[in-house]
Amino acid sequence: MSLLPAAGLVMILVGVASHYATRSLQGFSAFPAANVALGIALVLVGAAARARAFRGFSGAASRRVALRALAIFAAGAIAAIGLGVASRSWTARLDLTVDRLYTLSDQTRSLCAELDRSGAVAIELVFFEDALLAKDARLLVAAYGAACPRVSIRDASRSEPPAGARALYTTTATTVIACRGGVCDPVGYPSERNITAALLRLSSERSPRVFFLIGHGEVDLASESDGGYSGLAALLRDQGFDVRALVGPAAAEGPAGADVLIAAAPERDLLPEEIALLDRWLESGGRMLVLAEPGLRSNLYSDLLLRWGFDLEDGVIVDAAASPLLENPSPLNLLVHLFAPYHPVSRTLSRRTMVLMPTTRPVALARKPQPDDRLERIAFATERARVDHDLTRALAGRSPARSDAAIGEPAVAAAGSYPRGGTGAAGEASAAEARIVVIGDRDFASNRLIGALYNRDLLLNAARWLASDESRIALTDKAWTPNQDPLTLQQTVAYFYFLAFALPEALLLLGIYAWWRQRA
Amino acid sequence: MSARIEARNVSKRFGGVVALDDLSLDVAPGEVFGLIGPNGAGKTTFIRILTGFWLASEGDVRLDGVSVTRDRFRVQARLGYACEQPKLYADHSVDAFLRFVGGLRGLHGAGLRGAIGRSIERMGLEPVRGRRIGVLSKGFRQRVALAQALLHDPPLLVVDEPTVGLDPAQQIELRRILSGLRGTHTVLLCTHQLHEAEAICDRVALLDRGRLAAIATAEEIRAGAGLEALFLARVGRSAQAEPAT
Amino acid sequence: MIGRVLALARKELRQLFASPIAYVVGTAYVALTGIYFFQHLVSYNQLLFVYQSEGLGGGGFDQGTVPSHINVLNEVFVPAADDFGLFLLVVLPLVTMRVFAEERASGTDELLLTSGLRPFEVALAKHAVTYLFVVLLLAASAIYPAVVVSRAALGFEHLIALYVGQLCYGCAIASIGLACSSFTSSQIVAAVLGYSIPFVLLDFAWLSNAVSEPVARALGEIALLGHYGSFPRGVIELREVLYFASIAFLGWLASLTALELGRAR
Repeated sequence: MSLLPAAGLVMILVGVASHYATRSLQGFSAFPAANVALGIALVLVGAAARARAFRGFSGAASRRVALRALAIFAAGAIAAIGLGVASRSWTARLDLTVDRLYTLSDQTRSLCAELDRSGAVAIELVFFEDALLAKDARLLVAAYGAACPRVSIRDASRSEPPAGARALYTTTATTVIACRGGVCDPVGYPSERNITAALLRLSSERSPRVFFLIGHGEVDLASESDGGYSGLAALLRDQGFDVRALVGPAAAEGPAGADVLIAAAPERDLLPEEIALLDRWLESGGRMLVLAEPGLRSNLYSDLLLRWGFDLEDGVIVDAAASPLLENPSPLNLLVHLFAPYHPVSRTLSRRTMVLMPTTRPVALARKPQPDDRLERIAFATERARVDHDLTRALAGRSPARSDAAIGEPAVAAAGSYPRGGTGAAGEASAAEARIVVIGDRDFASNRLIGALYNRDLLLNAARWLASDESRIALTDKAWTPNQDPLTLQQTVAYFYFLAFALPEALLLLGIYAWWRQRA
Repeated sequence: MSARIEARNVSKRFGGVVALDDLSLDVAPGEVFGLIGPNGAGKTTFIRILTGFWLASEGDVRLDGVSVTRDRFRVQARLGYACEQPKLYADHSVDAFLRFVGGLRGLHGAGLRGAIGRSIERMGLEPVRGRRIGVLSKGFRQRVALAQALLHDPPLLVVDEPTVGLDPAQQIELRRILSGLRGTHTVLLCTHQLHEAEAICDRVALLDRGRLAAIATAEEIRAGAGLEALFLARVGRSAQAEPAT
Repeated sequence: MIGRVLALARKELRQLFASPIAYVVGTAYVALTGIYFFQHLVSYNQLLFVYQSEGLGGGGFDQGTVPSHINVLNEVFVPAADDFGLFLLVVLPLVTMRVFAEERASGTDELLLTSGLRPFEVALAKHAVTYLFVVLLLAASAIYPAVVVSRAALGFEHLIALYVGQLCYGCAIASIGLACSSFTSSQIVAAVLGYSIPFVLLDFAWLSNAVSEPVARALGEIALLGHYGSFPRGVIELREVLYFASIAFLGWLASLTALELGRAR
């Protein structure tokens, strides 16, 4: 083989390698490109020279043999390519994971069969191939495409998300968005439970009912002024929620017909029977979103929420760290960018998807009602934040630099899940999960701010999580590796000696022995 | 058991270079047939066509009526080939190498062991049986090459320059072995050593620039001025460049 | 036929393990994979310590809970599998470069091809022995994941899926290297080709800026890495196995073609 093609291949190799080594620094650059281009040119020149030097076959027999060999190779190549193309749509697979992570459960398959039987409008799963979790999620998403006739998979890239899903593509972790007839659901973490829940939501003939509690000084849903909250109701309606007002939960219907009850910053106490009704409703698996605000006093916060594990001590969070980023900096205006990375309400939010919350009340966690309940803080101020209980002083901007109440990373929002027994439609006992989300600010959802940054995302995530009904299909996230015990120091050292030294040493000694025997 | 070779109008070209030009010859069964000629005469080319390693540009060679162009594997099954500068696996022992070749030749079990034993005995390889080929002298390596060629007792033995680099005693021994095959095997001996061809061959063909320049029996050679005179008369010079291969 | 192929295969095995290259390659591969596997294991270990103290997760009410997706699979096996694949690409061309090229250079191909061996038998035996070497290489490196599996209850079936993927990937790389070796008598050239072609085929992301979307997608279908991701995650997909089998088949066919073309001079 002549020198030119070999040199050309080396240049192509260097070009490709240098591209990989530096692409995170500066993308596609001239050095790799030049190497690859020049390398290809050298290979072609060398091949052309060799072709010119070819003097032809030495006879008819040689020609026959050569042509037959090339024809066999070409046929084999075509067959291999054809097989490759044909097999792209084959879905046969062996799931050898311990918990069959990539095999759809019977419940999901039943749902898919039900969708197919009913002739429901097809649901499209938009799969972002370049998302952070794409490699892990691809196998699971492909399973839906194979098992569900009414579900199609559409590959997308984050640089050009499809129109309907564009608004829901918030972070590089967004992997799957489910869409049906122009309405899209962000799914969240791409597990079977979440994807199936999204399918369930989208295929549901009934829109989730959201009731707003009214009559205790809550926000004005009808007002279209900057301080009004008409945008909040409109947002929920746009996202497929059936929005209604519940004038006092003691009304005949009560909250029983609601999928989600929103208490948007009540300023007055509720009636004892209202508190009791809400308590009973939550015990039966009710779902509630509470917006609070510094300075508001209501037994909703001090009685009901406290009983369910939320301590809304009155005060305002003062955080100097957020201020420099705002046009009108104030330590009371929080740019919330710290979120619980794994909770369904907050996991699509991150440092790059901030929420603006002016004058926020801290949401602390109290004792949970029952041992199996789960309470989690889902959004936080920074570690330099502190709580000032003197609202007058704080609103006047005279909060002291240091405070005894400095607690570092106070939570601005929290969520709770409460497994409870409920009563089904026919009166039978059923498993139900009550959920509560508490956000320490109401202004972020006002007409003025709901379109700011990622405020609406926090709100919609909360509403969707509260409205979601995975318990209907009783899917739990499949268990991953159960054993997460870390190694001890001794084990670490032992592994290192074995892995890095003992085994290679054994092979090398074997080689030396084989070489010695050869020479003997 | 011996074989007949029939070559008809065999030509071989490499681009513009003619290595063999319309060569025709016959080798009778049981004959020790010598092929001599200057460098580049086409001797090795003809052998490589006969053994099926290369294809003839024109013409054909037949072994007992079987065409090497059309059915080279049947031809290869009936010949053993010890090439010039023996191509052996230096990291194998003699025994292991013969077992390998025996496996290629379809021998196994007791048959293979017997064949190896006979080859080793015939070629005097017993002292070096377990030694690595890479450390053997040239003479022993030549013997190993011959041993593997005779392992499956083929009707035709093709040897190319078997005594190059051997000391006189080894050369005598090798000639004795080859002569001993006369009658039971056909031997095609390709050599530069005129006296060697004169001593052991029944007939000798002289090639020059790809053509058959002369062919004579041993008696005719002895009756005449000898092979050297024949060579000088027909070829007329002492050296010639090898065609490009 | 089987006898001839087995005889040649035995010869190849003997030559392979008589040469120091097999042991050097094996040692290098085992050492590299061991060190990198260990590094992933240590990182995972440190991550567990961090989660089980206060740190990440926002210090939820149930402190010390490790999120379920932080586990041996995602933090150790999958990243390690990517490393292992790269190391195979580094070491295998050193083994494949001599398989055909050395025969041509030393002239022993004449011995083989005049002894009744069919070219496809030669290609078959040499490819099979090289694949067997890949199996031995992977077996040696499987010891430490197996040890971790036994601790972490990941499941040996999962480990099988991982190593089926490694085997498919390794055989494809080896097959390309063997095909390159069969077209030349120079081991250096065979090595250069054996590195270049798989490296370029690895991932066409470097071309994505220069070509249109449909072409980029088509290239993505050819890229080696794109067909490898399911195996470390415990799933054996038929189409991915067929993809690697196709490459191995084409490599074998290319070796066969080279042998036939060598005769058609």
